[in-house]
Amino acid sequence: MSCFIDVGFDSINKHGEELCGDKVEIIKGEDGIIIVLADGLGSGVKANILATLTSKIAGTMLRQGASIHETVDTIVNTLPVCNVRKLAYSTFTILKIYKDGRIYSVEYDNPPLILVKDKRITEVDKKQVEINGRMLKESNFHLQEGDVLTIISDGVVHAGVGAILNLGWQWSNVADYIGQISKVEKCAKNISKALIDACQNLYDYKAGDDATVVTVKLRRPEVIDLFTGPPKEPEEDCSVVKRLVQGIGRKVVCGGTAANIVSRELGQALDVSMEFPDPEIPPIAYIKGIDLVTEGVLTLSKTIDKMKAFIFNPSVYTISKSEQMDGASQLTKLLIEDCTHLNLWVGTAVNPAHQNPDFPSDLSIKGKVVEELAMLMKQLGKEVKLTYI
Amino acid sequence: MTIIQVCIGSACHLKGSYNVINRLQNIIREKKLDSQITVKAAFCLGECTKAVSVKVNDKAIQSLNEEGVESFLNAILAEEGV
Repeated sequence: MSCFIDVGFDSINKHGEELCGDKVEIIKGEDGIIIVLADGLGSGVKANILATLTSKIAGTMLRQGASIHETVDTIVNTLPVCNVRKLAYSTFTILKIYKDGRIYSVEYDNPPLILVKDKRITEVDKKQVEINGRMLKESNFHLQEGDVLTIISDGVVHAGVGAILNLGWQWSNVADYIGQISKVEKCAKNISKALIDACQNLYDYKAGDDATVVTVKLRRPEVIDLFTGPPKEPEEDCSVVKRLVQGIGRKVVCGGTAANIVSRELGQALDVSMEFPDPEIPPIAYIKGIDLVTEGVLTLSKTIDKMKAFIFNPSVYTISKSEQMDGASQLTKLLIEDCTHLNLWVGTAVNPAHQNPDFPSDLSIKGKVVEELAMLMKQLGKEVKLTYI
Repeated sequence: MTIIQVCIGSACHLKGSYNVINRLQNIIREKKLDSQITVKAAFCLGECTKAVSVKVNDKAIQSLNEEGVESFLNAILAEEGV
């Protein structure tokens, strides 16, 4: 199995702005991924429009096979001219990452990319190219398993200017920081979040500029098979459990009935824990051969809440350091950090519990919960396969 | 030895199995019944409309709430003759 391209990105807006002047566009294709990070001139609406146009044009044209020359030419001729500065301008970095680890990068006035290879900051040979009077830097290199490539907008390098630090931290400090966290963090999203968190602190939560981090990490694929809800036809139980156990990845069972089925089919005892680390979340259980066994719909919706907090709240990046080991926290950690491919096996039998009129209505349709989980996982860049049984 | 299984499935959890378990454990501790009664959690017992479902040894599943815990225990003690 070839490596998985794990991509994570995070942004903070300039203090007081509702829109971000940086824009990240990620396009997945057959042979790899194209990532564009554009930083529009100025801030707020104007910068947002410039950055969005740049990233969309670049992403779309490159995907369709246009050359970098044509793409840059189009961007330059399309961007509206800023009234104040009489310029049409947005800096950008483009990465084309192939599945075999080859990278093609083009940089235009953004801070240089940061490559951590074998846990060391590594220089990349770059070639200057002139397109329409603009100087771009082009390079070709390779990523290997475990290597981390990070691109940033200038708001990251300027973090702290005029606040905590006189001159901000420098590119080399950012690179060192990335080098340090790359050693500890396993998934790309944790690295980008950690760096953005450092920027927030340096800016004292009043960012002077939009700041964006995109991290790419090549990692070994990690599969999770998650079985929830009893199959529609009870005769299917046996074959479903068989397929679950044969999977190469970690195995998770969410749901009381599903757990009972697995326990019965495997002939292994279901041992339910009496610990309630969080009284709101039902305890977990243990079955030999299954990595995690939890209750179903309540745990899953709590997991979704935790994932949303992780994805959308820039200050929550400490999911893995959570002391709480309730079912939802454990599942969230597994899904965010230890998973690149998620296979969801969703049983469609009617659950009598959910037909109870007293049962909260938003929990009554487990299908909805599972679909939301699948959507969030896709948002995190994971491969998700949903199978109804 | 009497085993009480308390369901912690979704429906029962929402109906307060956490409180039922705590209350059971507290009373058992107070009355020093640890050697006679064991409380266990169980995944869905299949009687979700009877939440919170409780099963004593291999008997039929009954419905229980926090307030009923004390009389429920007394009934068991009377029946088992302990």
